[in-house]
Amino acid sequence: MARSPKIVCRCEDVEEREVVKWIRRGYKTPEELKRILRIGMGHCQGRTCLSLLVRIIARETKSEIKDIPLPKRRPPLKPISIRTLASFYEKEG
Amino acid sequence: MRRKADAVIIGGGIIGAAVGYYLAKERLRVYLFEKSYPTSGSTGKAIGGIRQQFSHELTIRIMVESVRIFSQLSEELGMDIEWHPGGYLFLAHSPEIRDTYLKAIEIQKRYNLPVRFLTPKECREIVPHLNLEGLLGGAYCPTDGHANPFKVTYGYLEMIKRLGGKIFTYTKVLAIKKEGKGFSVRTDKGETFSGGMVINCAGPWVAEVGKLLGLSLPVFPDRHEGLVTEECPDLCEPMIVDYRPDGCYFFQYRSTRHIIGCYTPKPLISGLDNSSSFEFLTEMPRRMARLIPALGDVKVLRQWAGSYEMTPDGNPIVSETEIKGFYVVGGMCGHGFMLGPAIGKLFAEKVVKGESSIPLDEFRLDRDFGKKEVMR
Repeated sequence: MARSPKIVCRCEDVEEREVVKWIRRGYKTPEELKRILRIGMGHCQGRTCLSLLVRIIARETKSEIKDIPLPKRRPPLKPISIRTLASFYEKEG
Repeated sequence: MRRKADAVIIGGGIIGAAVGYYLAKERLRVYLFEKSYPTSGSTGKAIGGIRQQFSHELTIRIMVESVRIFSQLSEELGMDIEWHPGGYLFLAHSPEIRDTYLKAIEIQKRYNLPVRFLTPKECREIVPHLNLEGLLGGAYCPTDGHANPFKVTYGYLEMIKRLGGKIFTYTKVLAIKKEGKGFSVRTDKGETFSGGMVINCAGPWVAEVGKLLGLSLPVFPDRHEGLVTEECPDLCEPMIVDYRPDGCYFFQYRSTRHIIGCYTPKPLISGLDNSSSFEFLTEMPRRMARLIPALGDVKVLRQWAGSYEMTPDGNPIVSETEIKGFYVVGGMCGHGFMLGPAIGKLFAEKVVKGESSIPLDEFRLDRDFGKKEVMR
């Protein structure tokens, strides 16, 4: 029986086998995999998938989780509407 | 024994990747060194716009060639680079800006670009939610477009590997020395390589790499910021460029439906500092919502900052230096991603055949840097 795909990043629909394929091509950091696969670039900004991704990298590269550099954090910490942001200074006067 | 390449490339952004690919295609053995990860400099901060609407004739010719390359690059690289010819719409809110566009259109038409100056009503046919207040019209070219800078760069790098080249990521070049007809290149991993030629494609760090050979290169980084929204309904297919002092530019990716954009800060912020500002996070949405009020409900996901690499005249440097065999391909002035494919291809032609199909003499390092590009 065929195994069902394992989703690592549910915001951007990234499967584990895709991640493993690109790690084996030599891209072994979250920064690189994020840019190739969009993993961690969706609505949750990596909150859900990042810990999974780091574990997959550690397993595939036989390294320690603590040695895998985390990607840079980008503001805002959660999605905010254009209207709310645009009106920030109006409200403050 | 020391490993030897025909061409050593410094920099894993779009320029290094494109130069490397077209040289590898000409059967040169390419080693590419990137001090961090590929696209970690300017390329990864670029929003992905690709246009032919310039005022400088050589830039127009190069961009016509780049668009031709982009339009078939997914097939060539075996990777979907998300090319979409969604067009560019330059808005005019003042007679001065309108006249600048009209003059540029005269030049662009000589190169058969299907560019037109549209009335405000015609602008709205292309961007249905556009706010027409104060608008005098817009310069529109439907064959401009966008592609994904990450995909293009990684696509080129994978092809370099397939053609026998090597990519050294997280490897910084510490020293370059002239050695006979070629060079020796030492990295922070303690290894030394030989290279027949060295090509400085280091983007914002072009001047820093030049210093390794005692050169002073006129390339100066300044900070630009960008943001991306969540995916949303179709709201703006073309890149919208607002040239007012508090203007901005943004478009919607056809592949993922995210809206992405930035503006040029005034005054410019010089240097390599790439921190994000709260000012941009509030000011950019204000400028976007002024142009397309329907964007109000769309949420901003992420903001970042990156460098433009400016030269004194706003045009690139594609040139051998006074040190024979040491080349600079840099100073792309915020247009490196869109110029990259054609510049890479033309540079490879020049190096291998002695002359490129579009001569790049105007981008020589020893030119007069006095004349300026008006559609920056």
